This record gives sequence, C-alpha cells and structure tokens, in this order.
Amino acid sequence: MLIALWPHHWSRQQRSNATLVSALVLMVLALALLGQVLSFLPEPIGPNAQAFSAGARTTLWLTLVSGSVGLALGTGAALARTARWTALRWVAGFYIWVIRGTPLLVQILFVYFALPVLVPGLNLPDFAAAVVALSLNVGAYNAEAIRAGLLAVPRGQTEAARALGLGRFHVFFDVVFPQAFKISLPPLVSNFVALLKDSSLAYAIGVVELTNVGNRIQSATFQPIATLTTVAVTYLLLTTLVTQISNAIEYRFDVEGRSR
Amino acid sequence: MSQPTPYIVADRVCKSFGTHQVLRDVSTHFNTGEVTVIIGASGSGKSTLLRAINRLEPHDSGTITVGGVPVTDDPHTLQQQRCEVGMVFQQFNLFGHLSVLDNITLAPRRIRRTPRAQANEQAMVLLRRVGLHEHAHKYPWQLSGGQQQRVAIARALAMAPQVMLFDEPTSALDPEMVQEVLDVMRELARGGMTMIVVTHEMGFAREVADRVLFFDQGRIAHDAPPAAFFNDPGNDRIRAFIGRMGD
Repeated sequence: MLIALWPHHWSRQQRSNATLVSALVLMVLALALLGQVLSFLPEPIGPNAQAFSAGARTTLWLTLVSGSVGLALGTGAALARTARWTALRWVAGFYIWVIRGTPLLVQILFVYFALPVLVPGLNLPDFAAAVVALSLNVGAYNAEAIRAGLLAVPRGQTEAARALGLGRFHVFFDVVFPQAFKISLPPLVSNFVALLKDSSLAYAIGVVELTNVGNRIQSATFQPIATLTTVAVTYLLLTTLVTQISNAIEYRFDVEGRSR
Repeated sequence: MSQPTPYIVADRVCKSFGTHQVLRDVSTHFNTGEVTVIIGASGSGKSTLLRAINRLEPHDSGTITVGGVPVTDDPHTLQQQRCEVGMVFQQFNLFGHLSVLDNITLAPRRIRRTPRAQANEQAMVLLRRVGLHEHAHKYPWQLSGGQQQRVAIARALAMAPQVMLFDEPTSALDPEMVQEVLDVMRELARGGMTMIVVTHEMGFAREVADRVLFFDQGRIAHDAPPAAFFNDPGNDRIRAFIGRMGD
C-alpha cells in the first residue's frame, strides 16, 4: 500500500527505502502516541491507556526479539537439514519434528515450569522464558520456509558459480542465499505476523503483554466489548505496519518485477 | 608454428551413473590454442567429459590434468583450475538476482579481489566485445536468450581463463539467435582462445574447428581435422549422424 504512494520516476531502491523508513517511523509514532490517543477515549479505555500502551510495547518487543533469534535459528536449522553430515540433518529434523508437533502453549509452559526442574538453577524470568519458547517455535517454522527457498534455487546457479572458481562461502552468500531468501520471504513474513499474534500466549506465564492487559481490564471493569476491541485493533495496527515493512523488503528483492 | 602443447589431458577416464557407463576409458588431450568440437548423439558422454574437466561431475577412475595438475577434490587446486577453465552452459545460468554487470564482476571481485571500479571497467570492455555494452545495467530476465548467452560468455571470460568449455551453447536458443552466439565464439577462436565446444552446429565445426571428436557410447569413435572428418567419416554411424544433422 505504502509503496504505491511514491513518485513514479523513483527507482525501486528509493521506493523501498522510503517505504521502510516511513513504516518504521509510523511504528515508533504509533507506539509513542498510542497511550495519548487512547487516553482521550471514555471509560474503561481512557483511564487505562498507559497500561494498554505498555502492553503493546511488550508485545512488540517480545515479537522483535523472538523473531530475530528465530530467524537465526531457522537459518541454522535449514542449513543443518540440507547439510552433508547425517547427524546434523538428524538433529535439525528432530528439532523441527518436536516443535511443530506440539502446541506452543505447552512449549511456553514447559520452558517456564519444567526447565528449572530439569536444569537446576536455570530459573528464567517470565519474559525470558517466553522469548526462549517463542524463538524455538518460530525457528522451526522459519527453518522449513528457508529450506524451501534453498531447494528452489536451480542447480545450474550453483554449478555456474562453482565453475567460475568461487569458493563454498561465496557460492552460498553471493548466489544461493539471496535467491533463496527472496523465495522464502513471503512465508517468513507469515511466520512473523503469526508470531506477533501468538506472543499473546505468553500471558499464560504472566508476561504483561497486550492480551494480558486487556484481559485484566475487562475482568476488572466488566466491559469486555470495549477492552477486547481495543486489544484487537491494536494488534491489527501492529500487524499492518509489520506487513508494510516486509512489503518494502520484498519489493526491493523483486528485481524481476513479478509482484505488482 | 611452435610445437603444440597439451593443456588438458584425459587418461583412461571412466564415469558411470548407476549402472549406465557414460565414459569408457576416454583418453585424449587438448592443445593450447586449438579449437576442438565434440559431436555425438545425446547421452554419448560428450557433456559429461566437459563437466568432468572442471569437476562438476567427478569421474570414477582415470586421470584428468589441467595445466599438468590432476583434477581432484582438493579445494585449493580445484578452485585455481576452475579459474583457468571458463564454462558456458546450455541454459546460460546467469545469476537472476544480479545485473548483467554484477554477473560479470562477481568472480573477479571475490576471487581476485579486484576493486569494483576496475572490475566494472574490465566488464564493460568484455560487454563491448560481445556487443552488449548498452545492456550493462539490465537484469538477465530483460534479455533475449542469445543476449543472455553472450553475457554468460563475457562472465566466463572475466576470469581471463586459459581455456573455454562450451556445453551445447546454442541448443536452448531460438534459431534466429544462434548466429549471434556463434559469431562471438568465432571471434574468440580467431583471437587464439583454446576452446572445447560440444555442439550440434556442423557448420561451426567445419569452419572454426581445428579438430573434431565424435563420441559414441562413451568412447571417442573418431578424431580428425574437420575437412577429413566431414569428407571421409570413419564409418557409417558417423556418416548417418552427420547426415541427420544435415548442415
């Protein structure tokens, strides 16, 4: 949506940059002004505006940290799954199998309650436990998205790169990865948006994020419609901005101009 | 002319895919400055020999040497050999996410650490040579097949190789684009480049080659200068093959 705003004569890169910058500015503005905007609303939102905006910040922070770790983890797991060593492939396959086969809520509860019992002394605070569980979860899904991208790069590309005398490192980072990343981007964005919403499950171990805030306020004020609508609209605002950022990145990589 | 020196030597090279033996004890050599054209039916092993020379397809037994050094899996020597051996593929295999200029400069910049400005300058010289200097900033998808293949040739030349391998460079092209690619190759041959060309273009073989090899069921069935090869094919199989290609 934002991309269409820029003048026609701008280059792909300029438009992409302009979109990225404005989406990021909008994101920061939205978070900074959310509390003030909400404070103008009547009961029960107005008096609790600061709690809502703190919750939204926690949600976004939780998503950004888990999303970054999950991206690194996903890349690692995808590489391991396509590696030559059988042991490595097996470990990555096991990780993806376990994570995708169990509910996220169970994973969050496990990291928070069961891990300290298994590993004495590892008492993670609620936020850190949520980050660990969410990162592991999104990492498994990212791994499959990235692996799909890696497999979709034609063999001829690596052959041409190797025939030029490029070493393994350059074949991967200059030829395979950029093309795989472009293919993986839409599913990665889906995973990220899903993560933003799934971070609400951290509420089960007491992280004071957006859903938790909304739930506390609705049970204290007995006004579920207003509070839960505010929560939903705030999520919608955050996911919309995230989608704008990812569209800008996708647009930059789309040198073939295929997604108009 | 000075004594021809063999640059690439194959000695009793064998290669199988499963139970299918594609190369059977192939022994030959390719001299510096010579243009060798390899012809033969598909599946006769001609492409496999090219791909074995730069180890895209490791051979099972026998030895191949490039510049006197055996082709093995050792990453250091292999990388060096690949820099000396340029390769052009049937499907072009240009890097789709890079512009024409970046396709050509990638290897010199990464391997020879050539500064970008200098690499760009050298790339423009090569692009002018293949007649595409006006397309330097386009992406591969914006070019026709013939143009893409000419870029692929320029990309291989950017590493200043000693020898160029062509694996059916015109087989994926529309008929009207075949000539523009053959013209570039002819120009290269005239400049003294050592070339090994797998092709079905009999006219090119007749005109440009110093030597024609005929592959049949994984063996070199005939090896002769083009005049002798086409006027007096060794046997009926070859005569039939040339007849079918009907140049």
